[in-house]
Amino acid sequence: MKNTLTCREATRLLLEDEEHELPAADRLQLQVHVKICFACQRFVSQLNFMRRATRAWRKHGESDDDPSQPD
Amino acid sequence: MSDFAQQIEQLRPQLLRFARTQLRNDAWAEDAVSETLVAALERPQSFGGHSQLKTWLVGILKHKVVDQLRRHTREATILVGDDGEDLDDALFAADGHWRDAPQDWGDPDAACSRKQFFEVLQVCCESLPPVQARVFMMREWLELESDEICTELAITASNLWVLLHRARLRLRDCLQVRWFNARSSLVEGA
Repeated sequence: MKNTLTCREATRLLLEDEEHELPAADRLQLQVHVKICFACQRFVSQLNFMRRATRAWRKHGESDDDPSQPD
Repeated sequence: MSDFAQQIEQLRPQLLRFARTQLRNDAWAEDAVSETLVAALERPQSFGGHSQLKTWLVGILKHKVVDQLRRHTREATILVGDDGEDLDDALFAADGHWRDAPQDWGDPDAACSRKQFFEVLQVCCESLPPVQARVFMMREWLELESDEICTELAITASNLWVLLHRARLRLRDCLQVRWFNARSSLVEGA
């Protein structure tokens, strides 16, 4: 097992994690990296925010209040 | 025109915009919206009035958008030059470290209650390369599962991950520039 991930590799895994469950070994390496890497911690919070934002956007797109629309 | 038809017609521009963002093809978007409006007019009784008219129409539109993608599968996934471009080399140095660490977005959730934020998010989606935009919208807006997207577009799971990886990095970049930077310069200027 490689001992450390680079930020580039960590970022790739974090993005992949949005789509499917990572293999346990990858997940472990990722956890270790993020724990010690301040820049990747920020990337994680940005990704988390983007996930919440797209969820809110979906709701907004479907039902934002349209003044021309009597409710 | 009946009141119902008129109300539906008024929503056409908004529906068209959503369809365009997802399909990235004006003719397909027009078709999806027309089919949506026809379906709505044919079955007004299925609009129970429980939800807003727009919510109901968007529900129909999602199906029509998927129909369009299905009809145009081959064209929809032809990878054009700009889709091949990876942001990674711009973000990371040769040793794999960030060139510039991601910025602190502060308390970004306040953004989600603002109309302008969703406007920026939509513009950012519109500025993605076409295939990236399509898969991103299928995933996030149509809420399709990965394997459904792969089937509809006839791509492999790893193709899909690469496309979504690129789309998310670009969106992050776009939000940084168009929302977070723009706002901090407003605050500084005030």
